[in-house]
Amino acid sequence: MAVVDVHRFAESITCHAWSPDLSMVALCPNNTEVHIYKSLSQDHWERLHVLQKHDQIVSGIDWSSKSNKIVTVSHDRNSYVWSLEGAEWVPTLVILRLNRAALCVQWSPKENKFAVGSGAKTVCICYYEQENNWWVSKLIRKRHESSVTSVAWHPNNVLLATTSTDGKCRVFSTFIKGVDTKDSKAGSPAETKFGEQILQLDLSYSWAFGVKWSPSGNTLAYVGHSSMIYFVDDVGPSPLAQSVAFRDLPLRDVLFISEKMVIGVGYDSNPMVFAADDTGIWSFIRYIGEKKAASSGSSYSSQFSEAFGKFYGSQSKSTTANDASDSRGGVHDNSITSIVPLGKGGSPKVMRFSTSALCRMSSPDNNHRNECYISTNLK
Amino acid sequence: MANSLRLYLACIKNTLEAAMCLQNFPCQEVERHNKPEVELKTSPELLLNPVLICRNEAEKCLIETSINSLRISLKVKQADELENILTKKFLRFLSMRAEAFQVLRRKPVQGYDISFLITNYHCEEMQKQKLIDFIIQFMEDIEKEIRDLKESVNTRGRLVATEFLKQFITNDAIYTEKLNVRHHSSRFSASPSPSLSNFVLRRPGELLQIPAITQLQIENFYGLGNVI
Repeated sequence: MAVVDVHRFAESITCHAWSPDLSMVALCPNNTEVHIYKSLSQDHWERLHVLQKHDQIVSGIDWSSKSNKIVTVSHDRNSYVWSLEGAEWVPTLVILRLNRAALCVQWSPKENKFAVGSGAKTVCICYYEQENNWWVSKLIRKRHESSVTSVAWHPNNVLLATTSTDGKCRVFSTFIKGVDTKDSKAGSPAETKFGEQILQLDLSYSWAFGVKWSPSGNTLAYVGHSSMIYFVDDVGPSPLAQSVAFRDLPLRDVLFISEKMVIGVGYDSNPMVFAADDTGIWSFIRYIGEKKAASSGSSYSSQFSEAFGKFYGSQSKSTTANDASDSRGGVHDNSITSIVPLGKGGSPKVMRFSTSALCRMSSPDNNHRNECYISTNLK
Repeated sequence: MANSLRLYLACIKNTLEAAMCLQNFPCQEVERHNKPEVELKTSPELLLNPVLICRNEAEKCLIETSINSLRISLKVKQADELENILTKKFLRFLSMRAEAFQVLRRKPVQGYDISFLITNYHCEEMQKQKLIDFIIQFMEDIEKEIRDLKESVNTRGRLVATEFLKQFITNDAIYTEKLNVRHHSSRFSASPSPSLSNFVLRRPGELLQIPAITQLQIENFYGLGNVI
């Protein structure tokens, strides 16, 4: 059962992130800026800030929940950490030492580090050095044979999973002395070196995207471009991998909404639900927005906040093309690029999530709106 | 025959739906650049297997995909020399105006007649389904266009030849089936034998002296009645 709220913010949204109290959202409308919108009432959003520091498109945004900082990375190889001082967001440049574009970013669970995946086939782990008042980066240079498309932190704040366009998913240790030694629990990989590869998963024939850990850190999920999603249980010396092939177009990103349920979003514009049954076998359950079924239409209650809008442009290149194509169901019209949980990080169950998509151009008459949307799930 | 066209187009449409999953991807080779990887081909891991769909030996479609771009090359059926020339000229006309089409490539890929280059930016701006419909419609239309052009060339050829040879018709001529007119009237004695090779356009005053031929003879001679 899904209740969907749709909001439009811009023509295309590259990436987005929610503030800790879920009242504000930071998004990149497919250009070099980051817009921060605040919700004033149910459907009314106001653009509060525009963060303009990058020279090229902003490819990743993450908003830390405890320290209220926004980190943005862009194709111009730079990254900024923005902190709210008074009413303004003040940027701090992070020297990533990258020589290619940065593709993705994520704060670690304790928010003392963040990881950046880049087109330079490296991953940067950045931490704050108190003495110099500076964010410093350490690079994981080895191992990746192609661009790193997605990064995900394990709940223990040390393990990092990465996916790359060489089709492999790898798990590294990002143990940094001085940052991680203070709270090393028993059994945590305190002895592992920084940048040591714990695991390499070669399940996909094609590019890999969208890796995520389950809330307990026991299971890893990532997608491959060959319309497959891979689940790895018991990540460690003897992992148990499962590949689930599904019909239709590949996914771009996944989200664990509980230990046994995953939502995948991608080129189908319709989020897919995968679940593991009691024996631990994962399979595809259903789409969230059914095209013909009235299940999603029946409960359009009004308690849901934010959504990103969808774009109903009707302009097409061919004037003579008859509209023989059936619309892929759901709220989005174009491929969904990211899915973000709405809720406290680290909570075992995610009740709501938002998806954002790249939309089409509007037609000349101005009563079209662009949106990306958010859907919330009642499961 | 129409059935095989439907199947061919359906196959291409399905392949395009799968292939047109493009995303923004910055260049791995050059910093701050964003290039269509299918044209560059510098990183083989970013390219997918090209798919070749053949309707028959003469008609085929090559679809090459990469992470941020897709290239579709078409080879159009060309049954004879005339269609060859018409296709080349027509498609060259379109390719030179590639900017208006946005997804058209200015030069076709080697071995093909016309190529499209679709990038992730096109997919962001335009609807994917409509792009695919456009390509399929384009393929249908090309076939129709070339056929129409050929018909019009033949029609024009027939009209022009008719008009040209009309000038040789006079009212009081006696004609036989044979094109070599055997009998000359005395008026015509000065003119050379009106064999086929002697259809020389003379000065207007002398036109009447050239032996006349019926309209039917003209058509038969040029074989225009047999042109498709």
